[in-house]
Amino acid sequence: MARDLDIVSRRGWLTRGALSVWALLIYVFLFAPIVLLVVFSFNANRYGTFPITGWTTKWYGQVFHDYQIRDALTTTIRIALEVTLVSTVVGTAAAFPLVRSRLPFRSGIRIALVLPIMIPGLLIGVSLLVLFTNVFHQQLSPTTAVIGQSVYTTPFVLLLVAARLQGFDASLERAASDLGANTFKRLRYIVLPLLAPAILAGALFAFTLSLDEFIITLFLIGSHNTLPIYIYTQVKFGITPEVNALAALLLAASLCLMALAFVLPGIVRRALRLVPRRAG
Amino acid sequence: MPGSSPGVEAAQPADTALPLGRPGRRAWTSRLGEYAGFGPALILFGLFFLVPLGLIVCYSFWQTVDYNVVHDWTLDNYRYFFSVPTYVRTLWATVWVSVAATALTLLIAFPFAYWLARYVPKSYQKLLLILVILPFWTSYLLRVYSWLTILGPQGAMNRFLQWTGLTSQPVSFFLYDRPAVILVLVYLYFPFAALTLYASLERFDWNQFRAAMDLGATPRTAMWRILLPQMKPGITTAVIFVFIPILGEYLTPQLVGGARGVMIGNLIVNFFQGAQYTRGAAAALLIAALIVVLLAVFRRSLEVEDPYGT
Repeated sequence: MARDLDIVSRRGWLTRGALSVWALLIYVFLFAPIVLLVVFSFNANRYGTFPITGWTTKWYGQVFHDYQIRDALTTTIRIALEVTLVSTVVGTAAAFPLVRSRLPFRSGIRIALVLPIMIPGLLIGVSLLVLFTNVFHQQLSPTTAVIGQSVYTTPFVLLLVAARLQGFDASLERAASDLGANTFKRLRYIVLPLLAPAILAGALFAFTLSLDEFIITLFLIGSHNTLPIYIYTQVKFGITPEVNALAALLLAASLCLMALAFVLPGIVRRALRLVPRRAG
Repeated sequence: MPGSSPGVEAAQPADTALPLGRPGRRAWTSRLGEYAGFGPALILFGLFFLVPLGLIVCYSFWQTVDYNVVHDWTLDNYRYFFSVPTYVRTLWATVWVSVAATALTLLIAFPFAYWLARYVPKSYQKLLLILVILPFWTSYLLRVYSWLTILGPQGAMNRFLQWTGLTSQPVSFFLYDRPAVILVLVYLYFPFAALTLYASLERFDWNQFRAAMDLGATPRTAMWRILLPQMKPGITTAVIFVFIPILGEYLTPQLVGGARGVMIGNLIVNFFQGAQYTRGAAAALLIAALIVVLLAVFRRSLEVEDPYGT
């Protein structure tokens, strides 16, 4: 149908060409900074930017031997795993009543649940800082950071699982119920296998988001470092090639994890087709 | 994407709410069980999201005396904020920068989304859209940081200018001012806008466009009178999802804005790092108030459907 329109509009091909150039420029705009960052991480020069004096992988070697980075990496992964656990459980559990029960104030509840990803992380960070230090008189630690990040990541899991639950054929469950399956069996053999891809995608989302989270963590981590916080403290003193290398690694990690979040659910879905048959 | 979600928006009760199990045996316990799933979320969002936000509201009306918070209700924090000209200027600058960055993001994203929805074959659209969202799924900090290597004194931009002979010395013009902040903000939030605008353009029936032109409308008239009115919810969603996070930006002005690019987020962080909790709370509440006003105004036409392309 787009072609028909072009016949109508005589300048169609001109518009089309101009828009294509525009789109190309946008892709350059989107990827240039990221690509340059990776290029600089292989650059031999000490200053972490132009000119390119030669190619080297020594900055990567330094990243792996820096004990501060290794510490930060351990903390980051520990936090990310805990955040993934919390948000997957809480998000999945909340998806059920959200989709299935007759809720009063449905739109209000919906907005309240999406609010943590809508409002600036800064507000979540400072408000939790006040809660932990002035009300609970709690020392800031990776645990407080886990709580703060979970507030932000859980809605993502919730959205993903709720969407899947939405497109879920309830008659399957009713059939299982008619055949005598109790709540636990229905959950174990019908609901969870069907939801597994969405839960998995949600978990991977939560993990990646936690890995990269900056502003909430900045307020709640106390004296520890996560990788983004470490990079931030380094960047304040200027660009260094080690930070470029670390940044490139972190970029690669998030991209791989997100790719998994896209691909893995499909694989799991195919693998799990066997499950109900075995159960039957 | 996993499940290509309609989002919670579509989560209508419908007949899925019909009770499973034997009919007639639905006591209040089972109805409680229906809501049990909300339990953990209630603790997480109640105790660690809503309560702290309420606390910030209270703090903004309390006082700090000798580093202790005294529960005396007062407007002093707000009075103090508005009595310091620098703070007031920063507040207005924040609003101004947010409006400018949002407008620019949408203006840049619209032709792109239009191109993607109308001129690209359906089979490539998804791939090209994923390419746009890809940078968005990498670390926020790194996306800001990467601009330092471009805009900095030794950065790509300066190198380019020196290479073309336009300047002989590195100029620091690009970095540490509001234009740099706006540029990076547009970069950060472009995927949001492109995604939402594309989603509403994709649903658009181009036959209507053709019909309008058959009836004598010029392409421009057809755009203004047929296309844009139907895109209104999408545009509203894009505006909200770009504007709100920008209001609370801290990192971008901090890293590329320098002293001249300060936004209210930086003030808030300074207050809290200086243990001036009550004054910081007042500044934070000013942002929250702006957000609430915005949401209240746009509540009707807001689509909370899948803003993240999940």
